Amino acid sequence: MSPRRIEFALLLALWALPLVSAPVQAAHELLQLFVSEPYLELHTGPGRGYPVTQVVARGESVEVLFRRTDWFKVRSERGVEGWAPAAALRLATLADGSPFHVDLGDRAEFATHRWESGVFAGDYAGATLIAAYSALSVTDNLKLEIGLSQFVGNVSDGYIADVGLAHVFMPQWLFSPLVDAGTGYLRLEPKATLTRPVDRSDQVAYAGAGGRLYLTRRFFMRAEYRKYVVFTRTNANEVNGEWRLGFAFFY
Amino acid sequence: METRIRLLLLSVGLAACSGCASMHWPWHHPKPDATTDTSANADVTPAPPSASAPVIEPQVEQRKIKVPQIRAKNVELGVYYGELSIEDFGAQPVEGLHLDYHISEDLFAEAAYGRAKGGRTSFEELSGNVQLLSDAERHFNYYNLSLGYNVLPGEVFIGRNLAMTSALYMIGGIGDVTFAGQQNFAVNFGAGFRVLPTDWLALHIDVQDLVFKSNDIGIYQLKNNLQATIGMSVFF
Repeated sequence: MSPRRIEFALLLALWALPLVSAPVQAAHELLQLFVSEPYLELHTGPGRGYPVTQVVARGESVEVLFRRTDWFKVRSERGVEGWAPAAALRLATLADGSPFHVDLGDRAEFATHRWESGVFAGDYAGATLIAAYSALSVTDNLKLEIGLSQFVGNVSDGYIADVGLAHVFMPQWLFSPLVDAGTGYLRLEPKATLTRPVDRSDQVAYAGAGGRLYLTRRFFMRAEYRKYVVFTRTNANEVNGEWRLGFAFFY
Repeated sequence: METRIRLLLLSVGLAACSGCASMHWPWHHPKPDATTDTSANADVTPAPPSASAPVIEPQVEQRKIKVPQIRAKNVELGVYYGELSIEDFGAQPVEGLHLDYHISEDLFAEAAYGRAKGGRTSFEELSGNVQLLSDAERHFNYYNLSLGYNVLPGEVFIGRNLAMTSALYMIGGIGDVTFAGQQNFAVNFGAGFRVLPTDWLALHIDVQDLVFKSNDIGIYQLKNNLQATIGMSVFF
């Protein structure tokens, strides 16, 4: 299959996706919430600046169609659709009168979230590093992480794919230190100048230490220093240092 | 003798009448006394609750309601097409894919991959049969990881009845450009306009600059590669 054909197929799939997902959405059961404040304001768009054109009175209910960031598209009993912010919907109640819980991303969640992802820039053994990672919280302290890095140097370029465990000390603190360790694969592509060296791929192991700094809402910064041991096919293993500074968010 | 018979009849009649008082005749309604009054009223007003025998058993069961999951539509997947001006190698068609995650109403993270193919430099055009790069080396592939900020969110109107949410955003990030057989660390920045005709469909117009340092012609130079694209994406 030629790349053009694959592209065409992807494009077609992209177009068809909403057509396929529309009936699925219709079958999806919607959450019903009851307005318990004097009224619930409905905005025309998912943002604080969009005007309020409709209100839903106390005692009436709304169906929650879907969520985009911290805004919820809702439909009132009269069939009016609009956007309500999470902060306002938190004051609504469920059918049994119990309050509606919604996670907004705050300091408390910084310690207890389930997933996080982020992007780093840094330096790997003198080469410029770009990296991305995702982590699943096994507990509030322990995280299972996967990462992909690319480094671009004057002598060689390469990629590292790794998986590891990170332990966060005091995740509830504004700045929480962490240590991590893991293993992965490194693919090194030396830049050809006079001779043509072969690409090589080796197993690596790393250990690192760093910290996370909570910024606001769902965002935090992460900085880290890692030592990589590259298990080369020669007699001596290579040891490389890496530092990385990045921006991450949790969800 | 007559008096005796009359006495006998009268005493039998009296005995019969006293017996009648204790009989339940249909027209007879006995006047309730104090004790029957309490027992009769017990049927309508509940007796004060006693610990030994409650009259009404409390059977308040906590009703469990199912809370359906709310769909989150924060992810946007799209394609784009446009022109990329590859420094020294002419403006060429570019195509790409982008995946966005909307973190808040203001911020979004984006991963993009694009590709183009460099043309011939002016030097190559003028000097005849000179080839600075091979055909394979002219492929310009890039990816970048960016952060975007919706600077001017708003609405656009088409006619009287159609309003669509929109946003003018600034975007910037880091990534990699592979060109002239070399990989280069690149910085990208630019601005774009997004309009949503429906809740799940978005149309984009984007202008970005991909900047990297390269020595493809033997000396290190900062290369600016401006890109203008139009695109379409879906939210899910």
